Amino acid sequence: MRIKILISLGIFCFLALSAGGCVGGQQKPLGFSGVISYDGILYLGSTDGKIVAVNPSARNQEMSFPSSDGEWSFAITMPSKGISCGPSSVPVSIYGTPTVVGESVCIGTYNGKVLMMNLSARSQNLDFPQVRSGEWVYPRTEDVIEPIVGSPVVADDTVYVSSSDGRVYALDRTYGDEKWKSDPLGDKLWITPVVEEETVYVSTFDGHIYALSAKDGSLLPWAFKAEAGFASSPMLYENTIFAGSFDRNLYAVKIGDNDMVMQNDMMMPKELLWKFPGGNWFWATPVAKDGVVYAGCLDGKVYAIDSKTGNELWEFDAGSPIVSSPALTDDLLVVACDSGEVYALDIFNGKLINGVSIDAPIRGSLCIQEGIVYIRAQDNCLYAMDVGKGKINWRFPLTIK
Amino acid sequence: MANLWNLIILDPMLNGLIALSSLLPKAVEFGLAIIIFTVVVRLILTPLTLRQLKSTKAMQSMQPKIQELQKKYGKNKQKLQQETMKVYKEAGVNPIGCMWPMLIQFPIWIALYQSIMKALATTPENLLDLSRHLYSWQIVNQSLPLNSHFLWLDLGQPDHTLILAILVGGTTWVQQKMTTAPSVDPRQQSMSSMMLLMMPFMFGMFCLMFPSGLPLFWLVSTVIGIATQYFIGGGWGYLRPSSTKQSALGRGSKRAL
Repeated sequence: MRIKILISLGIFCFLALSAGGCVGGQQKPLGFSGVISYDGILYLGSTDGKIVAVNPSARNQEMSFPSSDGEWSFAITMPSKGISCGPSSVPVSIYGTPTVVGESVCIGTYNGKVLMMNLSARSQNLDFPQVRSGEWVYPRTEDVIEPIVGSPVVADDTVYVSSSDGRVYALDRTYGDEKWKSDPLGDKLWITPVVEEETVYVSTFDGHIYALSAKDGSLLPWAFKAEAGFASSPMLYENTIFAGSFDRNLYAVKIGDNDMVMQNDMMMPKELLWKFPGGNWFWATPVAKDGVVYAGCLDGKVYAIDSKTGNELWEFDAGSPIVSSPALTDDLLVVACDSGEVYALDIFNGKLINGVSIDAPIRGSLCIQEGIVYIRAQDNCLYAMDVGKGKINWRFPLTIK
Repeated sequence: MANLWNLIILDPMLNGLIALSSLLPKAVEFGLAIIIFTVVVRLILTPLTLRQLKSTKAMQSMQPKIQELQKKYGKNKQKLQQETMKVYKEAGVNPIGCMWPMLIQFPIWIALYQSIMKALATTPENLLDLSRHLYSWQIVNQSLPLNSHFLWLDLGQPDHTLILAILVGGTTWVQQKMTTAPSVDPRQQSMSSMMLLMMPFMFGMFCLMFPSGLPLFWLVSTVIGIATQYFIGGGWGYLRPSSTKQSALGRGSKRAL
């Protein structure tokens, strides 16, 4: 009898456990666009599919949005899919940080479109696209390319963007015409490419770093193959590419290295400069300054690594996965983590200077302007923080109608 | 509670599934891993499945007696319950005996479902979430992200060709038909007939909505269920009633011999 009761209790606990486990599954793509500052205005994507231009001083004065000082918002929608009783169009997801160039702001969306918006046309809320003002959308038809997760990069008169179809697209900056698209480079590309002179560098999910010709998208005779796929976008610093991999290492690979070997019809660097092991993936794109690479890791730590030797200089445990790229000032490194903590660290020794906490995960890249850190958190609010003083200056909900 | 679930059930299963994928050819790694993993899990659960089949069969064989009692004591519910329990006790059958094996299997299926969905990681959020569940094993981390292409399917996307929906709907119908006993009660019979059509239709519709990795798991699981039913449950069951009668006769004559 006692055994039967024990077995029944065990089975009950097992079922209760499974009920707890039922919670969760596939998460909706909400997007985690970062913030960029240009000419005193902040540009970012919201979780409800809007590109928003925010004037920090107007927000500081708690003026109604949009104020006349360069503020606007533009909703990007797509037709709803499948059988649904909901609206015919739904907001798109935005992962990349907008790129501002001249009088335009460019963004790639998760539904596979690239948009170039004119700041003046958007602030006047004119129909999109105003072709005469240099606005365009790619592809122009109802067609889409595969989801875009990285940010667009503008170099000279070309916009470079990577897509989940594994291709890099080069588009005319003024008209949005396709200049070239690369051959599929393995699996999905969820990265922001690096453009250096005439070369476009991309890191791929199948573990390659490829160099493409910026003129025609052809593969250049240089590539690097890691033991696992690359999780982060590449970062170029002093002729070295730094990228985080799914094998929990941060790789440093020299470009333009003469010491090359032929492997699978490709010239590969004979040896990588170094690789640095972390406790989980290096998802966030690292940043570098004065010979030091600062890399946030999903193990919750930020590492300061000598860019030449790969030796660890210091580490700081943020206690929660670091998804967003850190940001640098002259003497501070600002790191945000998934639990909503933001830390200001001494750039030289990693000592904690101050910290601020918000009640939402932080995944988009940070922006620092005149000592104030701007963060778009997953609660769809934009925060302005004086991290050095450890306080939040203002909070602006992006759910604007 | 969710953490405990992850620690002892979901994470081992998820890491096992990914480790298995890394041992398979890259072109078909995840599709094949789902198939093999489903077969392995079903094999591990075989004792429970057999027990469930045995209990279900025993219950079905007692239906004529139960129906007789229902006719006899239909108005006196208390007496009907007493007599029914008496019949069960005499035959040595526990009426909820067929429920326990099914309930124990249920969390395993949930964990397998979650493992497949998590491993597919179709969005950046899902890939980030996956990183929290992975062991530091090199074999697991080096094989990510998994190749989601298998035959004509992108396992991370719904299959809009209808092939998988038809296969899942068809096999679900066959499996249900094999186990659904015809009832003398017209109300119960119409209910069973409706369920027989509704369930395959519903699963077919799900195939058009869920990433096709999940319907692939349903398909393999249902095919194994049909095979188990065929070889252990004695032929096509109620799918071909004549074969049931013949096999029953066969068994009867063997017993007589």
